[in-house]
Amino acid sequence: MSTVHYAGILETVEGHPSELIEVLHDIQEESHYLPEDALRAVSEKLGVPLIEVFRVANFYKAFTLVPRGAHLITVCTGTACHVRGGSRLLDELSGQLNIAAGETTSDGQFTLEAVNCLGACALGPIVVLDGKYYEHMTASKLRKLIESTRAQDNEDSAYA
Amino acid sequence: MPKMLGPDALLGWAKKERQEREKFESTVQICADTGCRASGSGVVVKALRNEVERQGLQDKVNIRETGCHGFCEQGPLMVIEPGNIFYGKVTPEDVPEIVSETLLNNRVVERLCYVDSISGERIIKESDVPFYKAQDRTILGQNKVVDPFDISAYVANGGYSALARVLTSMEPEEVISEIQESGLRGRGGGGYPTGRKWEQCRAADGYEKYVICNADEGDPGAYMDRSVLEGNPHVVLEGMMIGAFAIGAQQGYIYVRNEYPLAVKHSKKAISDARDAGLLGEDILGSGFSFDVKVMRGAGAFVCGESTALMASVEGKVGEPRPKDVHTVEKGLYGRPTTLNNVETWANVPGIINKGAEWFAAKGTARSKGTKIFALTGMVKNTGLVEVPMGTPLRTIVFDIGGGSANGSAIKAVQTGGPSGGCLPTEKFDLPVDFEALSEAGSMVGSGGMVVMDESTCMVDVARYFLAFLMDESCGKCAPCRIGLDRMLEIVTDITEGRGTAEKLALLEDVAETVQVASLCALGKTAPNPVLSTLRYFRAEYDAHIRERRCPAGVCRALITYSIDTEACTGCGACLRACPHEAVSGAKKEPHVIDQELCQKCGICRDECKFDAVVVQ
Amino acid sequence: MVKYISLTIDGAKISVPEGTTVLDAALEYGICIPNLCHVRELEPIGVCRVCLVEVVENGRSRVTASCALRAKEGMVVLAHSEKVLKARRVVAEMLVAEAPNSRAVQDLAVKCGVTEVRFPFRNNDCVLCGRCVRVCSEVWRAQALGFVGRGKDRHVALPFNTRPEFCKRCWSCIAVCPMTITPCAGPMKVGEEYLCAQCESQLSMSQNIEDSCTWCRLGEGFQCARWADVATSARP
Repeated sequence: MSTVHYAGILETVEGHPSELIEVLHDIQEESHYLPEDALRAVSEKLGVPLIEVFRVANFYKAFTLVPRGAHLITVCTGTACHVRGGSRLLDELSGQLNIAAGETTSDGQFTLEAVNCLGACALGPIVVLDGKYYEHMTASKLRKLIESTRAQDNEDSAYA
Repeated sequence: MPKMLGPDALLGWAKKERQEREKFESTVQICADTGCRASGSGVVVKALRNEVERQGLQDKVNIRETGCHGFCEQGPLMVIEPGNIFYGKVTPEDVPEIVSETLLNNRVVERLCYVDSISGERIIKESDVPFYKAQDRTILGQNKVVDPFDISAYVANGGYSALARVLTSMEPEEVISEIQESGLRGRGGGGYPTGRKWEQCRAADGYEKYVICNADEGDPGAYMDRSVLEGNPHVVLEGMMIGAFAIGAQQGYIYVRNEYPLAVKHSKKAISDARDAGLLGEDILGSGFSFDVKVMRGAGAFVCGESTALMASVEGKVGEPRPKDVHTVEKGLYGRPTTLNNVETWANVPGIINKGAEWFAAKGTARSKGTKIFALTGMVKNTGLVEVPMGTPLRTIVFDIGGGSANGSAIKAVQTGGPSGGCLPTEKFDLPVDFEALSEAGSMVGSGGMVVMDESTCMVDVARYFLAFLMDESCGKCAPCRIGLDRMLEIVTDITEGRGTAEKLALLEDVAETVQVASLCALGKTAPNPVLSTLRYFRAEYDAHIRERRCPAGVCRALITYSIDTEACTGCGACLRACPHEAVSGAKKEPHVIDQELCQKCGICRDECKFDAVVVQ
Repeated sequence: MVKYISLTIDGAKISVPEGTTVLDAALEYGICIPNLCHVRELEPIGVCRVCLVEVVENGRSRVTASCALRAKEGMVVLAHSEKVLKARRVVAEMLVAEAPNSRAVQDLAVKCGVTEVRFPFRNNDCVLCGRCVRVCSEVWRAQALGFVGRGKDRHVALPFNTRPEFCKRCWSCIAVCPMTITPCAGPMKVGEEYLCAQCESQLSMSQNIEDSCTWCRLGEGFQCARWADVATSARP
């Protein structure tokens, strides 16, 4: 991510420490992670000590300091989803993609995250792939979803 | 829209908007919130709009995308007026028939009607649907008639009239009195008397004061706040404005968790519309009262639902709680007196102002007044949001409204209050949902999450689940929570994996007590509740795991085996093909066999088998 | 004019300047309350939860960390009630199971009445007391260190795990760290940790108020005064 992008975001801020979390959200939305140089720039612009910026970036689960894969797949591990087998889905996906929650596959295609409740509890277990919600998921539906996503990717790259 | 310079202008606007809406012959209220969207309501809405346009009915039919109606299990759903016709599980293919039959010719499309699971009857009217009948949808019912994207719908329905009344004819102390007399208690879990909180904040030293709306709703399994904020953000705003006037605050914040993008969007729109209408900002309705609100996003931290951690987050810092020796009503956000209330608490305020404290206090029990919204989920038939008067027995909610078991498996327990709460067995289902009653039983009302559990749920696994959750979410600052929960999880995991002993169980209880007493904040202090309540009511399950190395519910992987019933197995091979670990073998038409070494107990074979031949024990 | 207020700790009515914390007030008067993350010159953060006391108000009591509690007129504090003693003991037991290779933590455990450790030992280098972080940000205002991560993952780190140029290597962080003094019997082998209890402060003073040693300097740290005076030259 070039310096140009977050410079734009930083231009719109007032320079008050309380803006930190919103600014980090904006930067991450643009570049899909929080690059170190962006965080250093934020520290200067908002007058927040570097260690504090680093702390905030590490504390909140929504932020990542490591680039994410092409597809973000999130499994809801809330109580209602758990009771309907949500944790088994996470294990299944973890096994299938060969990564733990929070990691990205070696081919950079999938990042797996677990989230503690998405708020669609009546329709669990819920899995979100690239922003789209899938409800009443089962291990077999999940397999098919990953396979079709991979197939779509292969198709897309074949035409690239 | 023009700025409302005074209360009369507001009244005039409300009248005009109601007249506008009377022009339509019929109205379709279709739920378009996050849950129903996941079920596909977005495509249904599109299809509906297209069909209505195609038939040239735009001036006759009012299509309104609303917030949550509560009966999530039936989504995508809609209610058509006139007639109060309820259609559930609607697909885009149903749309043309709905338009030509119901909208044009007032005929009911029977196959889309709700079927009563006990009588088998088709129910046409929404008000007759058993799920809704036992409820008192004072707050949630408003979702149907307002539009989060259109402030005029809120105003047409009497919105901001409570604010107008407060600003023109009430003193702050009167407002506080009214709220105190109503008996309204915090709906976020703490149950602290709202009127008393406002009084303390008003009395606190300092000119600069804040009001905050806690929309962090971190309890997994709870989504009431999301639905209220997404579906009716104006009622929350109005409540906050009234509260700000009462305590003397000039600035408010709505702190919404990051996982609720629609709620963030709708709150921002509502604020922007309110500003345009002169209902936020300087000199509101010409009263001299100035107030503004900002939306702040969370970033994935359950602990930020705790008031001091939330305020730290609003300040742009890490969400670490601080000891509450000095309360936040005295020193809160930026060290100033702050009133923090939950979404539902704020949403109740305009109603109390308009209809009076007595009206509110007439509902509920002696100490718990009004209605409460619960998120009824888990292994129950009718999942969704339920609003009932406080004091309603658990049994009514789970069986009469919830419809009982989802799939025939006997209901075993209900978990209330999220990770700070506990599990109550069916013997306790006659308990009323009342702050004190549930706390005495070892659980709590909490924010309103109610997860139903049946025979397929292992209560030891539930305890383990909550411990793992809280460990993940703990800020880690204080030793008892950081280390204590870890040690408790160590022990419970040992139990679920067959290494439990009586000594470890005794140690578990000891550590639980210490975590309760010694933790710095409420997250730590209430963390042992799920463990303690399951130990209290489901000791037999713990004993089975420890003494017999057996998991009665068939959940704990180390203690169960998957096998195939040779009598039931037809040899179709579905499980063989589906097994990702190649653990199933067998010839066609011959009973299949699972290799225990390879089996990972993922459950895929059981999902695929159409003959119920996969046995878990 | 310094305003004095009076409060009662364990039945003793004492008088301190307004704004004094309950822990400081207690230590001033020789009422020994064990503590770990407390350093007199630094802002209290109340995270070790060892200095817990019961505060009785309107017939109800609550348990809170005395280091972060400002004394108020008429406050009634119980520093050695059964509830508090038990909580302290289990907290100290958990701490020593986390970090047995610190003399301070071993010492503390014994002082708090730990006689057996029921948890499998872990060999951590840090108890997250926050002394290093506070000395860096409050005394030197450098803010080169901070607590990073959440829950079990919480650890002390430098920004981006790189020492910033504004860290002047003053080593104050090391000076205040309770982990830098190894137990007298030397570092324990991994897998062979145990509760040492060899420390001279085995004559545990925290439980016997009437016998409290008059030259106890527990307020300044965690080493027994006798050891510090007698063995200064032998200090590692």
